[in-house]
Amino acid sequence: MEDIFTQVREGNAFHVRVWLDNTENDLNQGDDHRFSLLHWAAREGRTNIVDMLIARGARINATNMGDDTALHLAASHGHRDIVMMLLHNKANINAVNEHGNTPLHYAAFWGKDQIAEDLVNNGALVGICNKFNESPLEKAKPKLGSMLKERALQLGQDLQKIPFKDRSWLGYKTRSRDALLSRHTGIDIKQLNLSNQVAVTHSGEMYRGQWEENDIVAKILSIRECTLRMSRDFQEEIPRLRIFNHPNVLPVLACCNQPPDLVVVSQFMPYGSLFNVLHGETGIVVDQNQALRFAIDIARGMEFLHTLEPMIPDLVITSKHIMIDEDLAKINIDDPKYYRKTDGVVNGIDEDLSARINMADYKFSFHEKGKLFSPAWMAPEALTRKPSEINQRAADMWSFAVLLWELETREVPHADLTPMECGMKIAMEGLRLTIPPGISSHMSRLVKICMNEEPGKRPKCDMIIPILEKLKQK
Amino acid sequence: MATSPNPLTVGTPKKKDESFLDKIGTIGRKKKAKEASILEEEGKLAIESPTSPTIPDVGPEGYLLDELEERSMIEPTSKEDPKVQELIKILLDWINDVLADDRIIVKDILEDLFDGQILQKLIEKLADIRVQVPEVTQSEQGQKQKLQIILSVINRLLQLQWNQVRWSVDKVHSKNLVAILHLLVTLARHYRAPIRMPDNVSVNLIVVTKRDGMLQTKRIVEDITTINDDIGARFERDAFDTLFDHAPDKLNLVKKTLVTFVNKQLLKINFEVADLEAQFHDGVYLVLLMGLLEGYFVPLYDYHQTASTFDQKVHNVQFAFDLMQDAGLPRPKARPEDVVNQDLKSTLRVLYNIFTKYKGQGA
Repeated sequence: MEDIFTQVREGNAFHVRVWLDNTENDLNQGDDHRFSLLHWAAREGRTNIVDMLIARGARINATNMGDDTALHLAASHGHRDIVMMLLHNKANINAVNEHGNTPLHYAAFWGKDQIAEDLVNNGALVGICNKFNESPLEKAKPKLGSMLKERALQLGQDLQKIPFKDRSWLGYKTRSRDALLSRHTGIDIKQLNLSNQVAVTHSGEMYRGQWEENDIVAKILSIRECTLRMSRDFQEEIPRLRIFNHPNVLPVLACCNQPPDLVVVSQFMPYGSLFNVLHGETGIVVDQNQALRFAIDIARGMEFLHTLEPMIPDLVITSKHIMIDEDLAKINIDDPKYYRKTDGVVNGIDEDLSARINMADYKFSFHEKGKLFSPAWMAPEALTRKPSEINQRAADMWSFAVLLWELETREVPHADLTPMECGMKIAMEGLRLTIPPGISSHMSRLVKICMNEEPGKRPKCDMIIPILEKLKQK
Repeated sequence: MATSPNPLTVGTPKKKDESFLDKIGTIGRKKKAKEASILEEEGKLAIESPTSPTIPDVGPEGYLLDELEERSMIEPTSKEDPKVQELIKILLDWINDVLADDRIIVKDILEDLFDGQILQKLIEKLADIRVQVPEVTQSEQGQKQKLQIILSVINRLLQLQWNQVRWSVDKVHSKNLVAILHLLVTLARHYRAPIRMPDNVSVNLIVVTKRDGMLQTKRIVEDITTINDDIGARFERDAFDTLFDHAPDKLNLVKKTLVTFVNKQLLKINFEVADLEAQFHDGVYLVLLMGLLEGYFVPLYDYHQTASTFDQKVHNVQFAFDLMQDAGLPRPKARPEDVVNQDLKSTLRVLYNIFTKYKGQGA
């Protein structure tokens, strides 16, 4: 079988789509030189595939080993529609590669006049210099150079040369991921190089570790006695959690099935869970916009999980099960608002945070039977009736409403009650969250709609995402 | 001693009886479906029709008594006594439960047990042994020989004194209800059957003695069960045994402490307990208690909130036991059935177990 990079290069859209639909495939993976699928599609001018990849959440500003972004490649190979598409999706227009070149350098050098003009029109700076102190204007043929200069002047650009700054320190954060990650399923616990214990929770003990040069967290499930049957069920359920094809879902990387230890391995997330970010002492400021971005991320992740057939059961959407990921390739780091001129450090770091539903928090069918530790986030019907007897998607929507409430109020839902008290009161006595004053009327209406007592009347994910997008723009 | 009232048994083997167990066995070996259904039908007939055409309740006038021979029989009204009937039903259910795996269904406590066949299966299952006797015997002599072996095995297993044995080969074979009840009750006690037998069941016996050629009758009361104090008493003795035996006054203190402890938790969800024996037997409060102490909610579909049947209650208590073990508590010594049967000692053991671990916890 030809590998996916070849399929993308050759523009085999059908194969690419099938490949993307397989949850085990990570669309942000890179090849040996860390070219991502988006890089290849942009380079070869596969417009439809670029479109598909962007829609599936490809990292726009991911870099390869030479620190080229997809925009560099599209610009130098003269694919104007792709350049526009990337720009439209917040591609970093002044991205600098290892030689200090921007996309405009390449468009100018290769004589892609139209593209060069588009880039300047969209804010590409003509004064940026590469390592050899050459600006795009100097790389262009005289005629194009003077035309670009004129255009830049019209737009009010300062034509002063901007000297090259070494920013290779950013590289590791923006490069495409190692494709090897999604190829492993069962591994030996000894390979994990477990170091220190991070936490002990009801569901298991968490350890930090290193695996294939990645920071990982290993959760050793808390089990009284690991039976053969449990080990078998574990093996059967794990593959479904390896979801690499959605940016808002954090996959389980691998597992160790070594009774008495059952270990779930996932990527280490330095910021921890959303619960941690909102209620812990992380020092991260979550402003209104960031909260909305998180909400949209979660809704997208949920929407994706809801398309799976059959759905993955027993994954409760709570803020403890949402991980916060840092991804500089998501944003335009050369945007002046992120850039502190004095020391070259990225400013306002929260913009690059995204929320991902953590598949490692899935509750295995044999694990913690009969125990719900977060009833505050659960729909009343999910507390009283079997998962098989309720509409799981509608119940998730209720949980999402609780998350929205949490993001808005910055409070822990029913913080004053123990899980048993809280669950009994929700299930038996009609205890509900109240929306405090001071919440915007749009948001409080959205929370109310999603928390409809009638599961059938709650909206679907694809209905709320546009609403959230609109709220964000305001 | 009485002779069998069923002399007709001898030498009248019926074809379908010969091997009904064998044939049930063949069903187990997955014969063809059609064949199996025919056999099943045949087997059912065989089970339902007694091995011998008995004439029930043969009165004393049906026998000739020798001088000084004594014979006892149950007063007919005693058999209809609801308590006796209840006991019989509970014992039957228990036997059927035990023998469910063997696909044996017992319908009549006298007709199905007298030949030793079922008793053999029962003791084999309960004691997990094999008794070497012929599978099916038709002749009275054969049946009695078999009974002799089985009863001696049982007596040995139960470790009874000679004067505690209130059954005999002849009594069982002659379908003597009192003897069979004694035997079953003792077995149930010994093997800690998960059943609660009614207290103080007794039957009235008429004892007939021939003296000087005259039949003399007298009535005596035979106790089958007494006060139900020995359920679940067969583990090693612990503090609770001592407490029950020697310091009944302290018992109330223990109960009070436990009630206070339990209510401190349950009141958080607006429940209150007054009677430890009765209010914990359906397991619901045990489940809630574990959730409160361990910090989780138990979804309502995992247990029966209003448990009405025995099975539902046992499920609840068993589930609570699982939660306790998950929480690192030792496996409860009591059995779920004991708690459901409202055995105070068992309930107290379970609660005390929890109390010991969590007593330090604040509100």
